[in-house]
Amino acid sequence: MDDLYLENIDEFVHDHNKVVTYKWLSLTLGVHVNQAKQMLYHYLDQKRKESSGSRLHATYLVSGKCVENGNTSHKVAVVREDQLEDVKSKMELTTSVHVYSIQKAALKDSGPLYSTDYDAVKENLKNCSKYSAIRCAAAVPMSPTELQRAREMAQAPPPLEREASKAVVNGHAALTSKPASKQSKGIMGMFASKSTPKTQECSKEVKMEVEEDTSVVETSNSKLAAKTNAMSNFFGKQTASKAKSSSEKSDKVIKEEAGGTQTSSVAEEKPSSSSPKAQVDIKEEEPKSSEAEVKKSKDSRSKTKRLNPSDSEDEICESQKKKRRRIKKPQPDSSDDEVIPESPPSHNVETPTPSPESHVKKEPVPHTQENPGAKRRKRRRVLKSRTFLDEEGCIVTEKVYESESYSESEDDFKVSKHRPKETGPLKPSAGKKEEEKKSQKNVAATTNKATKQASIMGFFQKK
Amino acid sequence: MFSDLGAHKDRTLLGPPGSECPVFDRVRPNYSSCSDRYRLGERSFNRQYAHIYATRLMQMRDILTARAKQTWGAEVPVRRLCDLQMGEQCCIVGTIFKHMELQPSILKEISEEHNLLPQPPRTKYISQSDELILEDELQRIKLEGNIDTPKFVTGSVIAVFGAEKNDGKFTVEGFCTADLPLQAARQPLSSDRFVLLASGLGLGGSGGDSLLGLQLLVDMVTGQLGDQGEQSGAAQISRVLLAGNLLSHSTQDKDAVNKAKYLTKKTQAGSVEAIRVLDEVLVQLVASVPVDVMPGQYDPTNYTLPQQPLHRCMFPLSTVYPTLQLVSNPYQADIDGVRFLGTSGQNVGDIAKYSSMDDHLDILESTLRLRHLAPTAPDTLGCYPFYQSDPFILEECPHVYFSGNAPTFQSKRITGADGQEVLLVAIPEFSRTQTACLVNLRTLECEPVSFSSFSTEDDEENEMNISH
Repeated sequence: MDDLYLENIDEFVHDHNKVVTYKWLSLTLGVHVNQAKQMLYHYLDQKRKESSGSRLHATYLVSGKCVENGNTSHKVAVVREDQLEDVKSKMELTTSVHVYSIQKAALKDSGPLYSTDYDAVKENLKNCSKYSAIRCAAAVPMSPTELQRAREMAQAPPPLEREASKAVVNGHAALTSKPASKQSKGIMGMFASKSTPKTQECSKEVKMEVEEDTSVVETSNSKLAAKTNAMSNFFGKQTASKAKSSSEKSDKVIKEEAGGTQTSSVAEEKPSSSSPKAQVDIKEEEPKSSEAEVKKSKDSRSKTKRLNPSDSEDEICESQKKKRRRIKKPQPDSSDDEVIPESPPSHNVETPTPSPESHVKKEPVPHTQENPGAKRRKRRRVLKSRTFLDEEGCIVTEKVYESESYSESEDDFKVSKHRPKETGPLKPSAGKKEEEKKSQKNVAATTNKATKQASIMGFFQKK
Repeated sequence: MFSDLGAHKDRTLLGPPGSECPVFDRVRPNYSSCSDRYRLGERSFNRQYAHIYATRLMQMRDILTARAKQTWGAEVPVRRLCDLQMGEQCCIVGTIFKHMELQPSILKEISEEHNLLPQPPRTKYISQSDELILEDELQRIKLEGNIDTPKFVTGSVIAVFGAEKNDGKFTVEGFCTADLPLQAARQPLSSDRFVLLASGLGLGGSGGDSLLGLQLLVDMVTGQLGDQGEQSGAAQISRVLLAGNLLSHSTQDKDAVNKAKYLTKKTQAGSVEAIRVLDEVLVQLVASVPVDVMPGQYDPTNYTLPQQPLHRCMFPLSTVYPTLQLVSNPYQADIDGVRFLGTSGQNVGDIAKYSSMDDHLDILESTLRLRHLAPTAPDTLGCYPFYQSDPFILEECPHVYFSGNAPTFQSKRITGADGQEVLLVAIPEFSRTQTACLVNLRTLECEPVSFSSFSTEDDEENEMNISH
């Protein structure tokens, strides 16, 4: 054993003027705690022998059995050197004695000891028991996936015998899906927690689609590979599904709009099939894309999928920016023919980039532009609860329908925010989804302009 | 005892560093939580509390009737209050209501006719004028005679034996409680294993000095400090149970209520920092030992019993370990076949206020004998309005029955009539006493573990001692 550590300790104590505790030393030098204790003792011993140790102060840890008034107890104490013998003599049986810390100055109280340890531990929170003498096989940090699974398990409705009415069961169902989304890792955690309920129902769907997609679109698109990679990533999946759902929504809305302008009052599938058809045609012009095999009904989805699951917020922003740009361009001509030729080049250019979708998706926008510009602001009826004191002094809560103005972009945001809550407790069947989409369409049936004005309004209303 | 475990090894730490440093494996106990009955599903507060008394009496009546026949003979008539005959010696089963002059009442305080000043909070609300009234489903009757009024608390279900007198009062000759429920046999363990109980960490409080004590506790459990012997002993600690009041009372600042919102908008609640410290303490623990965390009176969860587990999003660091268990209060679990049951101490503290009993251990025993965890709920102790069953009725006898946040450590073994063996533990408040306790699962013995560090006051004390 080389005695380099003696120099180390010397440096810490004298040059850095530190309080060197065994724990700090163990974490700093990366040695077992017991070794650190021995090192400190060895150092102290040597210094004392050199008789230069008089300037050193040490504290000791003493533990053992104490008997007070006939009651035995286990005592653990940190003491100064001068108290050591005193404390030891009071103990019936000493279990351990070792150097706790060495420092140059005499310590008035034990505060510095704690802060030294605290700093050391804080830097090593992730593996704070790495050098301890006890290993716990059960205490292995879970990976995010395991964590998620464990939580879902934990959230499984506990067998409730009390109040075993259906009401309770219902209550539990509602409760369980919400806490299932607990996540707590910074921003990612926030995203995850917002979108987990969604993932639970979406992830399967997403995965399936990915598979289908890869089989259908055999064109070795590097982007697709990247996406599946990202899919395997848990967080990626979540954000993906979120991005997907939000973009899908706007997509749908737009399409509906487009359809509405093309053929007034058509069945729901019609618009989503008619407008994408145009795209499909475009793509077929490209030699290798086999997108045409994609069924019409699936078309809208597969499109949205191409949104890269990187960061949903960025994506949205990006798409919004593009939206605006796109809106301006076709404005003068605003006819289908004009739009279609334009998109293939852009598609080509963007195939390697993550979001060609935003273009394809936004194609119908010109149609919306055709609509009277006055439609950008809308009024709708919302259920609001009002609480007031009536003449008898009772607090009355009244639910009233009120009309309020809103704008498209804000609505978009709201929907994406509310969605987890809406769908969380219930497993949405396909019909349910349709319904949801319909309602969204009704609400957002007009434009999808992200005007600056609107976002400010959104700020006031959301609070 | 814990100290003896590691005592007979040689000293190894007062010498130059050796090459071998043993690493001990933490024992892995069989563990199953039995606290589902304390988890709330749907929470509806639209109901009244009358149901909980009704269902409590209904659940307890059969037990008490049987117990009464055991005590006063099988022929003793057990009557309802409405069937009571004047002068007939009989037994009645009912819920105690203690009429207390001093009991704070919001109605009294706000009624304008009385124009009373709000009463100052007291440590005890009992007085000489307190009266005991026994209620059953329909009626109530005043009790007098051989019954110790100040000892009883509202909400306890008991059986009394005696006769109704001319003045309409019931003269009690004797009473009996439901006493200990039956106990499942416990598997004998071959080796010593420990569960560490601690409560009242009081993080976020004023005394920063107590933190070294807490750190020593953590270091002892996680096998950092001490000699090899001590560490091998600490490896036998199979579980740590933190029984409430992890945060200090002072983190519950009332500023948010009293001050204008715009004044407090930017200030951070004291509990935020305290929870962060708690997370850091917990992550050290859970990396080495399974930990159960019960909420207490001052912790950020619901106030009413049963308190639901703390939310895991508050512990971003420690929640990744499967060893962290956020549990309810009251809490019940089987650890290596030993049934633990206990609370963070609200029930005991409340009974201490409303009865003549002071000793936490006595109160703990009386609740066990009443077969009810929290008789004073919902009268003076916040409680969820249960209506189909009362989860606080003890259906099985625990082996270790504890309550947290006691002023001092106390423990006692009691033996029931049917051979039940119960260890009662009053877990001291750590922030004040720097003491936790270790329960030996093999022998059901409990031993306090205290931590101390030096400070300037110690010096003065020592000097005083020397001078005398």
